[in-house]
Amino acid sequence: MNSETKLKDPLSLKIAPWVSVIGFFVVWQLLIDTEIVPRILLASPVEVGKLLIDKLTNPDPDGAVLMTHTIISLIEALLGYILALITGIPLGLLMGWFVVAEGLARPPFEMIRPIPPVAWIPLAIFWFGIGITGKVFIIWACAVVPCVINAYTGVRMANPTLIQMARTYGASDWQIFTKICIPSALPMVFGGLQIALALAWTTLVAAELIAADAGLGYLITMGRRLLRPDMIVLGMIMVGLTGWFIGNIIDRIERRLTAGLERGGAAT
Amino acid sequence: MKTTMGHTVSVHAASHGNGKGTAAHIGKVVKNRYVLYFVSIVSLLVIWHFSAVIGESSKYMPTPAMVLTELWRIAHENLAGKNLLGHLWSSMHRVLIGFAIGSLVGVPLGLFMALNRYLNALVKPIFDLFKPMPPISWISLAILWFGIGEESKVFIIAIGAFVPALINSYNGIRLVDPALYDAIRMLGANRWQTMIEVTFPAGFPALFAGLQIALSVAWSCVLAAELVSARSGMGFLIILGMTMSNPAMILSGMVVIAITAYLITVVLSNVEKWVCPWKVELPQ
Amino acid sequence: MTDQTTKIECQNLSKIFKQRSGKVQIPVLESISLSVVENEFLVIVGPGQCGKTTLLRIIAGLETPTTGKVFLDGKEVTGPGPDRGMVFQKYTLFPWKTVMGNVEMGLKIGGMSKRQRREVASHYINLVGLQGFEKAYPHQLSGGMKQRVGIARAYANNPKVLLLDEPFGQLDAQTRYLMEQETARIWSVEKKTVIFVTNSIEEAVYLADRIVTLEGKLPGRLKSTYVVNLPRPREHIDKEFLEMRHTITKETELLL
Repeated sequence: MNSETKLKDPLSLKIAPWVSVIGFFVVWQLLIDTEIVPRILLASPVEVGKLLIDKLTNPDPDGAVLMTHTIISLIEALLGYILALITGIPLGLLMGWFVVAEGLARPPFEMIRPIPPVAWIPLAIFWFGIGITGKVFIIWACAVVPCVINAYTGVRMANPTLIQMARTYGASDWQIFTKICIPSALPMVFGGLQIALALAWTTLVAAELIAADAGLGYLITMGRRLLRPDMIVLGMIMVGLTGWFIGNIIDRIERRLTAGLERGGAAT
Repeated sequence: MKTTMGHTVSVHAASHGNGKGTAAHIGKVVKNRYVLYFVSIVSLLVIWHFSAVIGESSKYMPTPAMVLTELWRIAHENLAGKNLLGHLWSSMHRVLIGFAIGSLVGVPLGLFMALNRYLNALVKPIFDLFKPMPPISWISLAILWFGIGEESKVFIIAIGAFVPALINSYNGIRLVDPALYDAIRMLGANRWQTMIEVTFPAGFPALFAGLQIALSVAWSCVLAAELVSARSGMGFLIILGMTMSNPAMILSGMVVIAITAYLITVVLSNVEKWVCPWKVELPQ
Repeated sequence: MTDQTTKIECQNLSKIFKQRSGKVQIPVLESISLSVVENEFLVIVGPGQCGKTTLLRIIAGLETPTTGKVFLDGKEVTGPGPDRGMVFQKYTLFPWKTVMGNVEMGLKIGGMSKRQRREVASHYINLVGLQGFEKAYPHQLSGGMKQRVGIARAYANNPKVLLLDEPFGQLDAQTRYLMEQETARIWSVEKKTVIFVTNSIEEAVYLADRIVTLEGKLPGRLKSTYVVNLPRPREHIDKEFLEMRHTITKETELLL
């Protein structure tokens, strides 16, 4: 029980965020309308809104409607992400418990770990071209790192008392691994999923900015090439919104799954 | 957020000391960690080498030796007017300027937001609006605004460094243990002394962690910006390798990039031990 | 042993905690009146969750009472201040300061010169038996040592009253006995007015000049007062000690 007798926030503090956000958009609009910021440098919120409605149905000038770009980006990101999960998590779990797995997998893993995700882009394009394969590879390469690290750390943080208890009951290494280590690691693993997702999404946008023929990053690049700031801003907003949205979904799944786990007491 | 993997040798050995599981019958030598590392590295190099020399694959995959030779070459020859060190310096130069700008804006803003709830109520919503946009997605606007020169790259890096610098200094101050405030007030501190003696030192480790993240984000951002458009820098170097269809050049560039990123982490964690000697290592 | 100047005077204190919305109100303390005379060692005993920590925090000025007032030397307490020294259950040392830095913090805030406060702090570090650990950081110390730092920190500021909030609650039994002995020794060397909160009757009998007990359920009210006239240093197994302990235990029904 906290001793602070909670003071009610004054009214001004409650409306300040709204004032701030509305003010932001008004100032932005005014800056463009008064030509203080030239139209070739930035589009106004109204223009971006108009383009948003237009791009829902109109594939010109960049070749696809907005949903297509978004879905292509999402598919690329999710494919690479899922591949990273199904390779990285088992690898990390095994590395956390079995000496041989760790001894063999650690050196190559430590070699790719410090490579910033975007640095994979040229190699991936060179190997696989600008299509979906290259993107999936890039996403896999960057998302697999947090998956492995968190699964590994999760297993290492399994309660040693539980493990010793299992040993005294005669459990085999494999039984301990599946019955104790993996459930204990789950909360950590979910932490890794969050990190991996944010990383995957950012890296994908970077990859699409550099080489792509569709996707939200491509939309942003085309906006620059065609000198259409409204397209750039629309692309950025869609990137932000989509990233925020999938982050929320993962968060919700995590809460549902680990809530039951904590009640079971295995996590601590 | 930061997890380390390098400190668990003894724990692991202990937990397997009397194990009688899968690996036990292979023998003690095979279970020795360093033997395994050695085997792993050697077999990695061998597999890499042979996968590169079979058939047509050398067009896509250089052998380890070729990467080393390429590394030696680009260290000495000039590419686009600069050798390897020159390009590395170009990137570092941009990182340092962008990082400096991003953290000089982000840290004070985060501190003020944590200390003043009105400022927080005004700034936080706008910050939250921008936060989910990856810094690199600003590149097109940056190029429209600043051209393809240094400014647009520095801008991207500054945005990338700004976000973690702000978030961490903000949270660092807000999550100070309230009991510490009780303690310092009982010793007679006024508001100002409380800030100097508790708020800042207690928030400092988080703030510093924010700077560490900011610097590694900055290093990613400079590469991304250089991949999009540049005439120098490590990102430029590997994209040049791509356009010249020279995979050895891409890989040797990646090696240098990885080593640099690694060195940044090591140096900063040592600096951290030096500036926050009280910071306790995470258990295990 | 004590002259009869009143140091601390609590008049009819009560405290009601309100939850955020204000819908739920929890009465924690009710009509507490209490006074402590100079150099008296007063121990407040009660089971967990009986409001004893809240009472101490009100005296410290860290909480405001819903009704009633606290006076120190006749002046009303309105907030925390250096005239009261507090030792916390969870140690609450400044982790970025060394032992020396922690102990001299109050003096630094009071504006004492560096050389002088080093001297004073060293004196109290020696008094609590931590000489040689001046440069250690709190995370390098054991629980008992941390609490010694906490005591030295409170003493060094030379407060009029020392407030200890279940200071040994987190220590193991052995260390706890040792720390009780140490507290008695330190107090005998440098007399102070002390208010000490604990849930251990044994600890209370060992340390106190006077014991007050709180009722075992909320809202906390004063139950009884016992004067402990045993000679010091006390022994846990003296006949009088055990009798005293037995009497209080019987009358207190400590609910857990």
